[in-house]
Amino acid sequence: MTYHNLLFILVVLSAVAAVMARDLLLNALMLALVSVGTALLLFDFQAPWAGVFELSVCAGLITVLFVSAVSLIRREDGKVEDSRARFRAMPLVMGIAAIALWLYGIPFFEALENWSRFSDRTASLGTIIWDTRRFDLVGQVSMLAAGVLVIRSIFPRRKK
Amino acid sequence: MTSSPGLLAYLLIPLFTAVAIPFAARFRTRMADVLANVTLLAGLLNLSLLLFDPANADSSFSAIPDDGFSLLMVFVIYLVGLCVTFFSTYFMEEGSGVARAPYFALIMTSVSAMCGIVTTGDFFTLYIFIEVLAVSSFALIASGERTGGLEGAIKYLLLTFPASLFILLGVAFLMLTAGTFSFEGVKTLVASGMPAGGTVFAVSLLLLGFLIKSGVVPFHAWTPDAYEGAYSPVSAFLAGIVTKIAGVYAVIKIAIILRLFDVKTCPAADILMFLGMLSIAVGAVAALRQNELKRMLAFSSISQVGYIVLAAGIGTPLAILGAIFHLVNHATFKTTLYLNSASLEKGAGTSDMTKLGGMEHSMPWTSWTSVVALMSTAGVPPLSGFWSKLLIIVALWDGGARIYAVLALLFSIVTLAYFMVMQRKVFFGKPTEASRAAREVRPAMLAPVVAMSVLIVALGVFFPYIYAYLVDTVAARIIL
Repeated sequence: MTYHNLLFILVVLSAVAAVMARDLLLNALMLALVSVGTALLLFDFQAPWAGVFELSVCAGLITVLFVSAVSLIRREDGKVEDSRARFRAMPLVMGIAAIALWLYGIPFFEALENWSRFSDRTASLGTIIWDTRRFDLVGQVSMLAAGVLVIRSIFPRRKK
Repeated sequence: MTSSPGLLAYLLIPLFTAVAIPFAARFRTRMADVLANVTLLAGLLNLSLLLFDPANADSSFSAIPDDGFSLLMVFVIYLVGLCVTFFSTYFMEEGSGVARAPYFALIMTSVSAMCGIVTTGDFFTLYIFIEVLAVSSFALIASGERTGGLEGAIKYLLLTFPASLFILLGVAFLMLTAGTFSFEGVKTLVASGMPAGGTVFAVSLLLLGFLIKSGVVPFHAWTPDAYEGAYSPVSAFLAGIVTKIAGVYAVIKIAIILRLFDVKTCPAADILMFLGMLSIAVGAVAALRQNELKRMLAFSSISQVGYIVLAAGIGTPLAILGAIFHLVNHATFKTTLYLNSASLEKGAGTSDMTKLGGMEHSMPWTSWTSVVALMSTAGVPPLSGFWSKLLIIVALWDGGARIYAVLALLFSIVTLAYFMVMQRKVFFGKPTEASRAAREVRPAMLAPVVAMSVLIVALGVFFPYIYAYLVDTVAARIIL
């Protein structure tokens, strides 16, 4: 339980730091730390599939992309000069959210667990992910094509 | 999983074209629009032969494969897609500064994604295709040289992002509570009579996401900005079909597949009806106060979406047929109106209604096709919009929602009022300086709107055929 709580605190603090930090590199690294913490939690909750994807894609691949992009930006552009005054209320908001979650979140997820017993649990998540999927792979190919086309569409114009 | 394997080709071919366009355009830039137009025209001809074969009516549409709803939606997607690509081909030629190859390739990707949305048989795939559509739409809105485009694109992305989050959460809860993503699986679970609280909760999250994507009041803040800021032909694509498929289609699909609205204890149906009515009212009243043509059309679009959501909320077979037909009609008249607003901008140099007047003299084709589309939107008989609104109002009356039926009828009159005001301001009355200097756009740019206007009249005149199609292929096969 202590291990879980520590991980939760790590995830929340890293998430706050990812939003608050002025340095883009620090933003990216804090976001990676959020993903690492989440992945460890997922492993601990017997969700290895989700944990592996979180660790490899979110903590690994996306961080590499962010850090590469940040390294292409000049140092002076990386500093965000806008005011952080609006974030001063953040601890208060987080405190209220934590109390609300403690009161309503836990009973809600317990109720959700009761609902889950109605579903057919014979198929494992692995079976569902790999064996019942066909058509959505076309969607993912489309997403890759769309991503490339979006970059081609927006960036040549920005160069001007 | 796809509910309509026969329609897979209509998804894959535009995707191949989208990938081929950047390569083909390297040799000759015009290959981009040629490939896009040819692909969509071929698909549309094929679909028209299937849908409008006169022998269909005698055989109770037995030649139509799978469910008629998906097929009809694919037809509308191809139709609007072709009108927009054909119009853009000539609109761009006059120097709009848009990168031709990525623009047409993105339209083809959007067409493919929309076909994916309407042919899928499960919520997970639906979510993936909706995201593909969101990414493509973002870049399309940002096309053109106006800074408003980029601003509109960012607003669209930021305001529809929470919608994607709700849909994703809904899909996750569905997995947890129902153990399946498929429409059929969830339908079976709900029909089996076991406590469906978790499933209803998951589906409500999905509905919330789709309502935001539809731009229904109170989630409508992004629509006028996105439609107004977008590159003009993209506004037609966005308002005519993209937001309708990404949001409204899914709302109707949930109403059909899950039959949650049969259960009167389910408050989702009541909320849906209330939001639909609110959209009709807010959209109509806000449209009355606009001076910018594209903004007025955007609010009118919110109002018309309200009719569809209201019909999906009551959920009776007749209401669903009305909602589907209104979705088709909305695509035809809103595409015509937005393409004409682009022509007005091109011909008169402005879309500010206070500066326009007497356009009927300088741009007669644009004016008269707009009048046909406006009358159909307002529900003037015998145009197509009249029949769909009639179906919805009769279904509301039959279903016991008589107050909603009366209000829907009253706001239909408000719609007519604001369109009369607009017609007087823009197309008739005294010519202004801008309208005297205006010239009619070239015939190639008029062809899509003339074709759409003919279709609006034809759908109204041949309504019995359309009604028979909806009854035999949608009501008989997937609703009842």
